Amino acid sequence: MGLLATLALITLLPCLCFAPPLPLRSSSASSTNPATSLVTEPTPEEKVPAEESEEEVRPPTTEKVMRATLRAAHTPAKHGRTDGPYLIAQRTIVEDYCGWGWVRKENQSWRQATWIAIEGTPNLCPIPHTFLPKPEDDKNQQYRFYGEFAPYRAYEPQADMWVDVFILKGFMSMGPAEPIRRDPPAQASSRPNRFAERGANMLKP
Amino acid sequence: MRFWLPLALLALATPTAQAHDIVLISGGPALRSFERYRTASHDKYWGNFIDSAILRAKELQLTIAPTDQIVWLVFRPSYQRRSQEDQDDYLKVLEERGLKAGITPIYFDNKTQLFTLLRRDGSKEKPKISRLEYFGHSNKKCWMFDYSNRVDGGALEPLVVHVDDLDQISGKSFTSDAECISYGCHSGEEFSQRWRMIVGRPMIGAVGKTDYSEGGIPKLSTGKGGTWAF
Repeated sequence: MGLLATLALITLLPCLCFAPPLPLRSSSASSTNPATSLVTEPTPEEKVPAEESEEEVRPPTTEKVMRATLRAAHTPAKHGRTDGPYLIAQRTIVEDYCGWGWVRKENQSWRQATWIAIEGTPNLCPIPHTFLPKPEDDKNQQYRFYGEFAPYRAYEPQADMWVDVFILKGFMSMGPAEPIRRDPPAQASSRPNRFAERGANMLKP
Repeated sequence: MRFWLPLALLALATPTAQAHDIVLISGGPALRSFERYRTASHDKYWGNFIDSAILRAKELQLTIAPTDQIVWLVFRPSYQRRSQEDQDDYLKVLEERGLKAGITPIYFDNKTQLFTLLRRDGSKEKPKISRLEYFGHSNKKCWMFDYSNRVDGGALEPLVVHVDDLDQISGKSFTSDAECISYGCHSGEEFSQRWRMIVGRPMIGAVGKTDYSEGGIPKLSTGKGGTWAF
């Protein structure tokens, strides 16, 4: 038994105590520092800074995936003249209703927002959804709108309403937002009219 | 002398055939970029209001007095914008079509210009209107010359004739027996009555929608129980 233990010590001790053999000269030619030459060189693909590799590993959030797959992601982040005062605008689509959506000032709530129709400025800034396949593709997208209100209004034929017109000079895309739970204006002269109440004189076919 | 005097008086008393104008108004088409994805898409064809007006002019030419003249008023900006969109020159096309029918378009760019063109005093230069017909977009309260052309699903204020604007059209510009027709949708539901009350001449209009899709003179849309009213 003692002989066996001695034999085992004789065979294992060199392995544990002696340094590993030096690498060949050719494999460490580029390295000047013998200490670094001992470490296996990573391949270019593996040579990634620590921070980046962390990002790569981090899985994309559901929100990021949703944003990236939205058609509205193809709207330019910025277009036209984007300096000076701006309004926060949110695209809202109401079937058979004239207009683009809501706008408000930065410090206002959506309750104080104004429903607008929109006109682009030729050769400067078109309406954002014209960059997309369909007009409704930027539904509930939020923007910063640069421009001014027109001196005229637009006529909304379904509700017989007059709607403010915003002339767009530039915009910045701010991404998707929660839908605004508010109906566009409908009032006033859309009510039954005293002239109409008299009834028309029907022509017999 | 005794013989000539009664003859001269008779000649003075006999009414001479007075020239009148027959006015046809063509509104503008919508842009396809606004209308393409709508459930009820308008103006797939750009020239609905042009072709129908020209056809009507041809019909009227067979019946009107030789002294009467057809005046064709066309809302220009919408055709310019639709031309840009479709990469075509529709103003040139409509002028050529009008020429073949013997009518020349007179362009207007807003409602103020239209009101000026409709202002008549019965003189030789501005004869009274004996007939007025409108081809274009409308609802029960409004003629919309640029519907869905500059703003999506609507029309700009200076480019519509709302019932509230009708007091700018004088009944004196029309003959006492003038006939007016609006071939736009829903005009017979209110616009016609307001026209009759304010302008003082009856106007026939549609109760319900009108349909230009088959070409020719617009018809009432089928299956909606529409009718013509004044």
